[in-house]
Amino acid sequence: MGDSQYSFSLTTFSPSGKLVQIEHALTAVGSGQTSLGIKASNGVVIATEKKLPSILVDEESVVTNVNQMSLLQVQKIQHLTPNIGVVYSGMGPDFRVLVRKSRKQAEQYNRLYKEPIPVTQLVRETATVMQEFTQSGGVRPFGVSLLVAGYDDKGPQLYQVDPSGSYFSWKASAMGKNVSNAKTFLEKRYTEDMELDDAIHTAILTLKEGFEGEISSKNIEIGKIGADKIFRVLTPAEIDDYLAEVE
Amino acid sequence: MSRGSGGGYDRHITIFSPEGRLFQVEYAFKAVKAAGITSIGVRGKDSVCVVTQKKVPDKLLDESSVSHLFPVTKYLGLLATGMTADSRSLVTQARNEAAEFRFQYGYEMPADILAKWIADKSQVYTQHAYMRPLGVGKFCTHFPTYLHIYTSTFAMVLGMDEERGPLLYKCDPAGHFYGHKATSAGMKEQEAINFLEKKMKENPAFTYDETVQTAISALQSVLQEDFKATEIEVGVVRADNPIFRCLETEEIEEHLTAISERD
Repeated sequence: MGDSQYSFSLTTFSPSGKLVQIEHALTAVGSGQTSLGIKASNGVVIATEKKLPSILVDEESVVTNVNQMSLLQVQKIQHLTPNIGVVYSGMGPDFRVLVRKSRKQAEQYNRLYKEPIPVTQLVRETATVMQEFTQSGGVRPFGVSLLVAGYDDKGPQLYQVDPSGSYFSWKASAMGKNVSNAKTFLEKRYTEDMELDDAIHTAILTLKEGFEGEISSKNIEIGKIGADKIFRVLTPAEIDDYLAEVE
Repeated sequence: MSRGSGGGYDRHITIFSPEGRLFQVEYAFKAVKAAGITSIGVRGKDSVCVVTQKKVPDKLLDESSVSHLFPVTKYLGLLATGMTADSRSLVTQARNEAAEFRFQYGYEMPADILAKWIADKSQVYTQHAYMRPLGVGKFCTHFPTYLHIYTSTFAMVLGMDEERGPLLYKCDPAGHFYGHKATSAGMKEQEAINFLEKKMKENPAFTYDETVQTAISALQSVLQEDFKATEIEVGVVRADNPIFRCLETEEIEEHLTAISERD
């Protein structure tokens, strides 16, 4: 791809054996808005802060169905397939690139094998893309970490993918500004037999921990998937209900 | 001990700095401010208006060729704030893209889809060190030439959507894009946004005249000067006339008069 003047990797080893560009990418992720995910016994929930740069930014939507592909509203949680959703911390524009590539990979798999792509496979292919950008010529790593939530034949799954391209399956995880507080909170609260609704409550409480200002359905986003295997972003009204229950 | 700042190249091309920043992107933002122009966009109940300064640095220049307001299709306008050359290049590509969209899909490209396309293009430039726009020649020298050509422009895209009404989108050199009720770009961006936040706080539903006059008076307030009709450019789309149009000098004059009589 591209210029021969750039057929060398920009991500090179330091004398101590580290790949510093990846570490810097992780720092970029760490200064992004907090997001988290929790795997319950019967589903997965992912959530994020949604702080917009100004009140002038249009977050209202004329479209009532938040699960329609609409650019009219700012939506950080995205579908990759009907049964796999993803959220990020870090650089929004980089996230859009990965969403586009992953959706295409999922559809190519579907076309070839005539079945929906398993969560692990999609995560692996996305992670491969991210790894390629740490080794190819003339490009920098992606400045995002992803939390991928899906439900397939193997049950509910939650994966975190980092700028290096490494990925792990998590019971619960957090990323972004408030990561250490959030993870400590999750470690205390997580139980193996948690149900999806409990997980949503826990997710909200975790976000609330480090939240600057008043938490409301306008400044957080929640996505969930249950045994019905349909990934859905919650409407502001539904978020309000959960917030009321948490109070 | 790690090498730290990547050999100093983090300021030359778009790789991360130790704090996780992209200096080239930040410098591109500064270059936009250095162009010395401020632009404003306001979305009303059934119209969108964008306003920008028209600075003609030399009396011998043909003022009609000094413009930052470009029709991309009959129904979509683009206000480019920043480096003029980058703006022109972007507009050419956007026009091509919108025409292809119309051909491929059989309906007019919506403002938000165009904004996303522009933003995605900018994102590529932030990640690929060697990306360059059309038509720049290659050359070899002794020293590696870091061809990190960058689009230092904010693009405001406006249009009327059949189903969703008036749309105003702003794209920045980092690849972010949002829909806005009102926004600003350029030298006095932050001051203008502060002014507009106050005006739009109660979610007013501006009529066409109010939309235009809010945009113009925002610019006047922030730059602290009263304009002549020839010193600004105004572009509009409205529900009863969804064609993107630049206002004539007389129309701008009327709005300026209305503003001064109001105050």
